[in-house]
Amino acid sequence: MIKLENVSKIYDENIKALQDISLEFKEGELVILKGVSGSGKSTILSLIAGLSKPTIGEVIVDGKKISKLPDHFAASYRRDNIGIVFQKYNLIPELTVEENVLLPLFPLNLKREIMKEKAARVLEKFTIAHKTGVMVRNLSGGEQQRVAIARANINDPKIILADEPTANLDEKLSREFIAILRELKSKKRTIVVSTHDPLFFELDFVDRVINLEHGKLL
Amino acid sequence: MFLTPEIIALTIINALFAVFATIAFVNAFKIVLKYDATATTAYQYALEKKSYLSATIIKFIFYVKIPLFIFFVYTLDDLSNLLPGAMCAAGVVTATSYGTPLLFLKIINLYVFAFWIVLNNEDMQYENQPYLKQKFLLYCVAYFLLMGEIILESVMFSHMDINSVVDCCGAIFSTTSATYMAKILAISHPVLVGIFYGTFGLMVLFYLLKNRYIYGVLNIVFVIISLITLIAFFGTYIYEQPMHHCPFCLLQSDYNYIGYFLYIVLFIGTFFGFVIGIIDFNAQEIQKRFNISLFYNALYVATVSYYPIAYYLKNGVWL
Repeated sequence: MIKLENVSKIYDENIKALQDISLEFKEGELVILKGVSGSGKSTILSLIAGLSKPTIGEVIVDGKKISKLPDHFAASYRRDNIGIVFQKYNLIPELTVEENVLLPLFPLNLKREIMKEKAARVLEKFTIAHKTGVMVRNLSGGEQQRVAIARANINDPKIILADEPTANLDEKLSREFIAILRELKSKKRTIVVSTHDPLFFELDFVDRVINLEHGKLL
Repeated sequence: MFLTPEIIALTIINALFAVFATIAFVNAFKIVLKYDATATTAYQYALEKKSYLSATIIKFIFYVKIPLFIFFVYTLDDLSNLLPGAMCAAGVVTATSYGTPLLFLKIINLYVFAFWIVLNNEDMQYENQPYLKQKFLLYCVAYFLLMGEIILESVMFSHMDINSVVDCCGAIFSTTSATYMAKILAISHPVLVGIFYGTFGLMVLFYLLKNRYIYGVLNIVFVIISLITLIAFFGTYIYEQPMHHCPFCLLQSDYNYIGYFLYIVLFIGTFFGFVIGIIDFNAQEIQKRFNISLFYNALYVATVSYYPIAYYLKNGVWL
């Protein structure tokens, strides 16, 4: 489903984030990308999401060459196929929980009622519906995490990418997040998690753990 | 040479155009030679990024060029106050031998850059960008036209002399002078007007038949015959003077700036018309452009036709 073929990513000042990586993620797989900070985990997620392009090589998702897409097509692809959970959630603190979750739907020009219905459903699913009208800045870390997950799932994406999702959570909240992952996995979502949190490495429902170091596979 | 605030502004903008257009040209040239849509090398990804940068520069140039062209015409009109003998922009244009070719080049460049924008928009509709090489090849040609325009404009301004007497539009667009214009003005008005309405009639016919190729060609004919008939026939009714054939006095406040309206409408109508003859849009887009083109061309015909009809109804005679 997702293929990275001979991918290298070199940032300015010759920082080699990825060096000739070839990887494949199958549909419905939950894969953990493991490695220390700067090992290239987030870069892989960014490439799969079409947020950046490789310096060399190709990223293919469902047969489509993502790395060759013009920017506005990459944005459409991301909107339709990808849900992203960021380490710092990337929510807008001045908006309510519902407004944050609705954001990915605005480009679709859906009717307001349909959008609100979708938001209500996804907020219910991730048990944050009771905070619908609350400003995000007034939420705890765990609640913000749930809002971020709800937002990532509102378009019902095939692929979920999570970048250090438990970095700002305590162990209890981290286990709650893992429970959500298990549920998403049971719904055949393809999930790629970048983390160095040991909690993820002992999970029985993880299909693979990929080790990265200095932009190379170990 | 003399400088006015308008000439200084135009010179500075032209200098900026030259710098940015050259950056875009260097990238465009590399893209035309080396771009390979299937390759995944570092060089190809770098070329892709450069294609976005260059497209942005070219769009910026065009979007500034449109108001700048109007400002240029305004400047010519304004300079007529400084050149002895000049009554309007016509005297300024003909004050040096560079003015007339510059004006034609500016008009051609407007069409070329507008066409580039349309081609770019069409190219960006598809994931594989089917017109990428063509649009940058076109830009490589447009770059030389643009640089030619910038050089001509600088040379024209530098050769203007406020101590030399220039011709007024009455002399330039006179039927008695020994110029090509005089020969055109000498053509029988019924023949010219017949060709004008006949061309428009054919455009309507091929609009109904949805033949985009012939419609496109007719638009090129239409823009030429429209300008000729405006100078030779319709303009005289706007001025209500049988011997006044100037295409620039129309731009003055005495005539409610009607020239700006007529030229802009004619540009939009004919541009959309000739574009559908070249680019293979989808059926819906072709129809949309057919409609825009015919609407603006019809608006032009209706506006210029109004003047002789109104004159006849008011006075009971033709000029």
